[in-house]
Amino acid sequence: MNDSISIRAACRIYAAMLYAYPREFRLQYGVEMQHFFHDRCRELVRERAGSGVWFRFGLRNIADWVVSTLRERRAAPRQAPGIRKLAQEWAVTILLFLFVTTSMVQAYVVPTGSMENNILVGDHMLVDKVGFENGGNNWASYVLPHREVKRGDIIAFRYPEDVRQTYVKRVIGVSGDHIRLLDKQVIRNGQKVDEPYVRHSGPGIDDYRDNFPTAPEFYTTGRGRDMFASHVRDGEVIVPPDTLFVLGDNRDDSEDSRYWGFVPSNYVTGKPLFIYWSFDAPTRDYAEWSFRHVADVALHFFSKTRWDRTLRTP
Amino acid sequence: MKKLPELLPLTPPVFHILLALADEERHGYGIMQDVARQTNDALQLGPGTLYGCLKRMLAAGLVEESDERPDLELIGERHDERRRYYRITALGRKTVRAEASRLAGAVSAAKARLDLAGGK
Repeated sequence: MNDSISIRAACRIYAAMLYAYPREFRLQYGVEMQHFFHDRCRELVRERAGSGVWFRFGLRNIADWVVSTLRERRAAPRQAPGIRKLAQEWAVTILLFLFVTTSMVQAYVVPTGSMENNILVGDHMLVDKVGFENGGNNWASYVLPHREVKRGDIIAFRYPEDVRQTYVKRVIGVSGDHIRLLDKQVIRNGQKVDEPYVRHSGPGIDDYRDNFPTAPEFYTTGRGRDMFASHVRDGEVIVPPDTLFVLGDNRDDSEDSRYWGFVPSNYVTGKPLFIYWSFDAPTRDYAEWSFRHVADVALHFFSKTRWDRTLRTP
Repeated sequence: MKKLPELLPLTPPVFHILLALADEERHGYGIMQDVARQTNDALQLGPGTLYGCLKRMLAAGLVEESDERPDLELIGERHDERRRYYRITALGRKTVRAEASRLAGAVSAAKARLDLAGGK
């Protein structure tokens, strides 16, 4: 007697359902239970059971499965967490942690005030590494939903002059955009850009900074000089393909594309997700490790944490 | 092995499984068929319930495993599938007898009450 495909499928499913039982019970009775199920299916076929009978049979089996798995699980002896079990649990935790930290999010502390008032020194944030196309160059961003980086996005990226550092800035120009600053006002493709998020520290005009692009200064980096040499035409920067032009929101006090050039799009690591902790401490505490800072956190955790910023999106 | 009083009262599945095994050895599916017959299909044991009960009954010494052999009638021409057979023990027999008389007592008590109530 050969079984129909549907019976074989039902038996497969039942065999899979057996994994809900405790291991010991499954090893002891699993084969018998599969035989039992199979026999029942064959008997129903022999009786030419109608669909109502099959339906009740299915329901009854599911009910039986739910009730008996619960009972057997409760009855299963609780073994003391042996070293193997412990290792298993930790292995899973660590794998998950590695996966999440390498391909999904990245923790990042803001060391400077270049994005104030939107991002403060001491904001500890999680960066979403898969939100943008190409974000972080990892495989997860090919699988999960993502979008292109747009003008106005706040992004985290590798600082082109030193890829070990992560910077957070706002995207002002994407490839093909013509950018210049006129008395602190950004003009993109001939139009003034409305930037409600920008903060200026004073009315004083610094030509390099506020009427960009002029000419490289001694503090312009190598990449910045490249930008001046190859991508400035008629007093405007033209953003080359596959790069971004970024500026800090704290416009007068920000070291950004004006000084070190464009960000290659594959340097973008992601988009700041939310601030999980914000602690009020000076830049030098975040630039390098110091015992003073650890003591400061320990002593003033509650008073110096900016609670209102916790869990906020930048 | 547990003492008799600890085992009573039996749950309906355990009681009927013991009854099914009282006259002959059966395999799991045979037990289910017999229990359905005993109860006019009122109690249809699913595999999880049946083997859960058998596990506990084995531990309590009410039944024991017999051997593994094919059931020719059930399987038809495929003789390669073997089934594990179960058999009732002396303790199992004593227990099911005790449970049956306990139930009989309960039934007669109920009858007496209900007859009185009916005669009112």
